[in-house]
Amino acid sequence: MMTDQKEGERALNKLQANLCLICVTLLWSTEVIIFACIPDSVVPFATTAITSLIGAVLLFLCFFKRIIAALKNGGKKLLLTGLFLSVLNCGYNVLYQYGLKEFDVSTGAFTISMTVVILPVILMMKRQNVDKKTWISAMLVLVGIVVSYLGKLGRISVGGLLFLVGGCIIRAYYIIRLNEAAREFDPVPISALIALFVGVISFVIWFFIQPATFGAIEWNARIIASLFIHAYFIVMFAQTVNIFAQRNATPAAATIIYSLEIIFSLIWGMTMPASIVTPITPDVFMLIGAAFIVLGNLSEIVEFKRKAVKRL
Amino acid sequence: MSKKTHSPLWTLLIIVTLTVAYLIVSIPFKVMEIIPGFTDIRPVSMLRPVYGIFFGVPGCIAFAVGNLITDIVSNSLRWSSIAGFAANFLGPFCFYLYWCRLSRAPFDLKNMRHIIKHIVVILIVAVIETVLITPAVALVYPDVDHMLFFMTVMINSTAFPILLGIPLIIILQEELGLKPKPFRKRKAEAEIHQ
Repeated sequence: MMTDQKEGERALNKLQANLCLICVTLLWSTEVIIFACIPDSVVPFATTAITSLIGAVLLFLCFFKRIIAALKNGGKKLLLTGLFLSVLNCGYNVLYQYGLKEFDVSTGAFTISMTVVILPVILMMKRQNVDKKTWISAMLVLVGIVVSYLGKLGRISVGGLLFLVGGCIIRAYYIIRLNEAAREFDPVPISALIALFVGVISFVIWFFIQPATFGAIEWNARIIASLFIHAYFIVMFAQTVNIFAQRNATPAAATIIYSLEIIFSLIWGMTMPASIVTPITPDVFMLIGAAFIVLGNLSEIVEFKRKAVKRL
Repeated sequence: MSKKTHSPLWTLLIIVTLTVAYLIVSIPFKVMEIIPGFTDIRPVSMLRPVYGIFFGVPGCIAFAVGNLITDIVSNSLRWSSIAGFAANFLGPFCFYLYWCRLSRAPFDLKNMRHIIKHIVVILIVAVIETVLITPAVALVYPDVDHMLFFMTVMINSTAFPILLGIPLIIILQEELGLKPKPFRKRKAEAEIHQ
């Protein structure tokens, strides 16, 4: 079923890359729905370890030849890149986990969107060019986050905020390095290696927290199904699509689209039953903040210049 | 395409593989039932256009068989499953028919025009499927909330093929090099011209 298409001809255009990134963001936002089906007794590291390892196994099964070929070509450098990205991935997830405990669901989600602002700053420090349009988008998202904080200023935990900002800095750096890796290597093996290493690292942490590991979980059909759903959609599908899309998008543009996660989360919080998602009743500040985030995304995604030329 | 792909054994292998892929995705979602025993959240619907466009009739058979096996495994097999089987064969077949036979332009989702066209086909297929399944369920089981059932089937048949199916198709075609299945008649014409 494979074609005679040459490797160089295969590439997503900007529209396709943006659509893929929106899809990835949508899938990430559904994590809360999947996690709702897993009891609290299953520690987060257990979930990450199991789902990442299932995702890695599936990717290796589906693309065995491709991954082996990439490992033969990329060798040690590919392995080290995969390992480094996995460490960054685990790092920001741990900081998010501790930080989010100090916030309610909606404020925490808005704070995580801070990555959008941090990423262009890191790029600037690395002396890489950032489009004016991207800066405008990042500023609009920042305004959205700040507005959503209004009315909650007295309730913000400084410790939690520091954890989340730390997580955002690591995540921004992760996105930049992932973008570089996606351009240098085949996205499928990178995705498989990240899933494998994240699974192994999470398993080690899980072992220290809960030495009984698999034996500590009260297994039932619902838990198994939820773990598999997470493995297919979040680890295998979303992660791989994300890396393919990253290869054809700038890290700053990708991060701005990721900020849509807060919008999706708001929609789930308002529409899904309380048994699945923590209900969200958005106040005026949150709605205005969300509007700014959408505006920031539109200004990044829509090609204003091309339309102007067409009109002329 | 090589001659190997035409052999019945190869076709059977494709059907079995696609059915297994369908089941791997569909079965875990039986934990999220809306109307117990009748319908549920089915992200597996995202595979409908993929099976029709890239695998043709074997893909349509695999989709229908996969749906039937899911019903059996999840203890949801009812008389209305006959209508479900027909609708789940017809759904991917409509994509195959439109994109591989009726459309003048070759299938791709590279521009907004093609994407909108594809979304319109998804909506039409969703209506056809819903119109086939809902009356069957309504006739056999009058106690079921028909409006909720109708809405669930419509949402499953539109949301997932659009939100997840489109990016999946883009990756399969543009990055993994999967080609749309040529329609038998068009393929024969191409061979004659060669």
